[in-house]
Amino acid sequence: MSGARPENDRRAIARGRRGPALGWLAVGACAASMLLGLFGPGASAQPAPGAPSATPTGAPVAPSATPTTTPSATGMTPVANPSAAPSAEPSAAAASPSATTSAAPLEPPAHASGAAHTHGISPIAGDGLVPLEWMPPGSKSSPIPSDEIFPPQELTIRFNHKKHSGELKQACKVCHAGAYASVDASDSLMPKPNETCDNCHDVDHSDLRNVKPGTDPNGQCTFCHLGDSAGAGGKVARMVIPKPNLRFPHKKHLDRNVQCGQCHGRVEELELATRDQLPRMAGCFTCHQMSGAAQGDAKGNCDNCHLTDPNGKLAVQFGAGMLIPPTWMHNAGHTADWIERHKSIAADDSSFCGSCHTNTFCTDCHDGKVRNRKVHPNDWLSMHPEAARQDNPRCTSCHAEQTFCGDCHRRVGVARDSASGTRPEGRRFHPDAAIWTTGPRSSSHHAWEAERNLNACVSCHTERDCATCHATKGVSGGQGVNPHPLGFASSCGTAFLKNPRPCLVCHQAGDENLRTCK
Amino acid sequence: MSGLALGLLGLHGAARAADFEVQAETAAQAYQVTSPWGDIVLDRRRLMQTLGLSVYSLQGKYEPGKADYSVTLRLRLNADFGLNQQHTGEPAGSETSFDGTGRRYVPGMEEAPLDLMYGYVEGRNVLRGWLGFRLGRQYVSDMLGWWSFDGGLVRLTTPFYLQAEVYGGLEQRNGLVLSTGRYERNGIWRGGHEGFGSGAGQPSVTDYPSFQYAQPAPAFGAALESSGPSWLHGRVSYRRVFNTGTSITQQFANPAPAGTEGGFKAITGDRISSDRIGYAADLNLMAGAPVRAPIGAKGGFSYDLYADTVNTWFGGVEAYIGQTATLGVDADYYLPTFDADSIWNWFTHGANTTFSGRASFRFTRKFDVSLQGGARTWTTEGDPATFGIGECATISKSVIPDCKPGTSYIDAWAQSKTLKFVRAPENRQQTTVVDGLGNIAARYRIGNGQLGLRGMLQAGERGHRAGGDIYGEQGFVGGKFQLGARVSLYDWDDPMRPDRSATSFGYVLGAGFRPGSVADLRVEWEHDMNRLVGHRFRIVGLLNLWVLK
Repeated sequence: MSGARPENDRRAIARGRRGPALGWLAVGACAASMLLGLFGPGASAQPAPGAPSATPTGAPVAPSATPTTTPSATGMTPVANPSAAPSAEPSAAAASPSATTSAAPLEPPAHASGAAHTHGISPIAGDGLVPLEWMPPGSKSSPIPSDEIFPPQELTIRFNHKKHSGELKQACKVCHAGAYASVDASDSLMPKPNETCDNCHDVDHSDLRNVKPGTDPNGQCTFCHLGDSAGAGGKVARMVIPKPNLRFPHKKHLDRNVQCGQCHGRVEELELATRDQLPRMAGCFTCHQMSGAAQGDAKGNCDNCHLTDPNGKLAVQFGAGMLIPPTWMHNAGHTADWIERHKSIAADDSSFCGSCHTNTFCTDCHDGKVRNRKVHPNDWLSMHPEAARQDNPRCTSCHAEQTFCGDCHRRVGVARDSASGTRPEGRRFHPDAAIWTTGPRSSSHHAWEAERNLNACVSCHTERDCATCHATKGVSGGQGVNPHPLGFASSCGTAFLKNPRPCLVCHQAGDENLRTCK
Repeated sequence: MSGLALGLLGLHGAARAADFEVQAETAAQAYQVTSPWGDIVLDRRRLMQTLGLSVYSLQGKYEPGKADYSVTLRLRLNADFGLNQQHTGEPAGSETSFDGTGRRYVPGMEEAPLDLMYGYVEGRNVLRGWLGFRLGRQYVSDMLGWWSFDGGLVRLTTPFYLQAEVYGGLEQRNGLVLSTGRYERNGIWRGGHEGFGSGAGQPSVTDYPSFQYAQPAPAFGAALESSGPSWLHGRVSYRRVFNTGTSITQQFANPAPAGTEGGFKAITGDRISSDRIGYAADLNLMAGAPVRAPIGAKGGFSYDLYADTVNTWFGGVEAYIGQTATLGVDADYYLPTFDADSIWNWFTHGANTTFSGRASFRFTRKFDVSLQGGARTWTTEGDPATFGIGECATISKSVIPDCKPGTSYIDAWAQSKTLKFVRAPENRQQTTVVDGLGNIAARYRIGNGQLGLRGMLQAGERGHRAGGDIYGEQGFVGGKFQLGARVSLYDWDDPMRPDRSATSFGYVLGAGFRPGSVADLRVEWEHDMNRLVGHRFRIVGLLNLWVLK
């Protein structure tokens, strides 16, 4: 809907009638605004650079604003006479357009009455909490957008979507028509002021180097632009909206009748739209649940939306930080104890891990040759025997015991089958035979240790070590000590058919016990 | 593989759009290893060198969802030039060469083994997303473990939230060309038999009957996996691996000449090495699910079809309290199973089961803490505290008048008397001992660096281990320079070997230099001190080079 031009002439006539009374009113308003500026709450739609965002809760979400700040004493620029140009400080210094390094929060512009605007500087007037139902879908799981995907912004403008979309019934397309043709997330979809704003506001943006505000208050720079001395010298604070680190074609979604609110929430109920109105991945998964071969395009594949490195893995390192999965995604929150937790995720969905991690990332630990101190801390060589007994961490998740462990044990003489030159004379790694080896069994007998954690034995011993006692007597060379669990005879038949080799280590082919299995 | 890659390049004629990556990693380490008695000292002079070569987007410009082809491989040299060095007076190379005496010889060990970690051609999203494949040496990681094989894998993705995978080839085995034993099932000592023979001065199977020949191990597997939904995922997988060739069975020389190999009995033929099925799934109702709730769950198991037993299972539930906290409970069951050639499948009795509760707090984007506590149970068939007393009770006092567990010796005759006691089910009731355990981990990110804390405790009647590390890293000049440090204190106690109990303090100092995005150099100095080794020093140098065009 196009706006009609304001009837400036009628206002000019009316102004002439008001005379001195208006001037006194203006002075009073100026004083009031000064007092308000000194002692009242400051409001800034965006956090000051370096200030942390508010920690969200599950309840209605506060906008990502800084705590209120005290506005500077010189921040307010009262308009003494509506007919006069904004009485900005006639300082030679231009309003600083330092978009990325502004030291103070941007000030809301002043009304014609001299009082500060209270609308359009935060999503909800008075910096209130935005109800969850107005937030983008998925905000319950992710109250704030990802810093890595949507880097922090600086919005230096005042805008009331509720007034424009709600009261004035302007559709999103009126200002954001670019979205309908946009195929790249880096496209700027902010309205072109000369094509949109100028239709209703008394201002001419046709030459952005020489913007001409009209006489109507809604055409003044400070009506929309925030910041100290906004409009002074024809300059306003730069708006910083970094391009998202995402693949996203608005056109494709709009062509499929995915409307704006389905991703951005109820923006028409809000005043200023901030980063908080950007989509959440949890919301994207409302549709993006389809497999890679699906006929539609709403695939759940990670690289459908996420940027990738040349090796096909997701790009995860960004200026704002490192992209990691959210907690709710496959329970794969990369928490501080991820080393202990990741096995269950990898066991179920290693391709999910592989969307970001290369083979090398995993093999650095699981087939690594440089000891990882987070897994094997301190003097691990001295400590690992006790760790092996405790099965903490599990040796077999990274090591082949009979070679990786066994070779070193043979070299230092710990293993029973160490070469003769390294076998220690008169020394035992285990307790004395009466305690460890022979009956009657002590509480430290090897039988109990083997039953509890056989892997610890396998890291050092070969089959021959055990067959010495546990093979059958006679040709097999053992002492006939039965190592099998109870009930073994009733379950060995199938195994014997599949592979009789282990049985023949201890039993002769004609052994009566073997016939039971057969 | 190179030919196939070139063929694909030629077919698509878009080599100029392909991305080439060369990556090299060098790690040099020097430290000493002593025997528990201190009289043998091994000098480890380790050098690991990897070289990775990859070509991505062979088809030309990469477009998500469109067919994408790549080739990647990584070679590794893992040398220890400290081998053979500490044995003065021995023949040169005596640890890796039998050299007539075998006094120091360790079969299968090499000073500088070379292996191909992985090397494959991959196609993704072929046929409009329906097909994916890999050819070459590759990994499969699922509930059945982290596994490597040489062969082919084909993945079929359907539009119906399901994808199927089949693969086949040869398991990577120690002793085969460019291979390590990392991925074969535990329980069998295998390796290359270079130099083995029956001649004088040669090692033979007679000397090392447990050291089996490395033979090709055909394998195949299949999997069904969900595809698409983010809130639910599951994968069921099956894998079978075969052993082939000849394997020594009897561990002691058989005087009978027939059917023997070098005096030892052997078995020849194809047989099962591993035959397992596994399933794992996860569910998270926070987002995308038809029913929303701030909880997640996961679980899985693997079943060893050869040993006819559940090898492992796990399960857990998490609850998400706002955005700050996660609470969870987990259970993990593990029963060791081995290669089907191994006798140890038939020695396995009890599993260990771990129950734990967990809390994780993400206070800010920079600071998070995780805590975990629980118990690990160990089982035996019989009560270790009373079993030996029961054995004594069955032996005639005239034979062993002062029969006591741990001091007396039961000879073969006495053993026959105890046999009934030992195998009686009433004496083999399951007995459980419990270890308590706990972990803590915390991280605080500061700009270009971080501070961290890790601590653990596990204690029970079989000993304890407790300690923690505090570490920090900081980058300077935009990460071009790095400094790192770590302080560590641990205490452990082993009742079975009280002379090996100790308290150990250690620290690490590290410095790094990253001249650009193509290189990363780091040096670390580690010093540990405890009563067992006095002082142990370790120096590590790491150099990573990476070029992408």
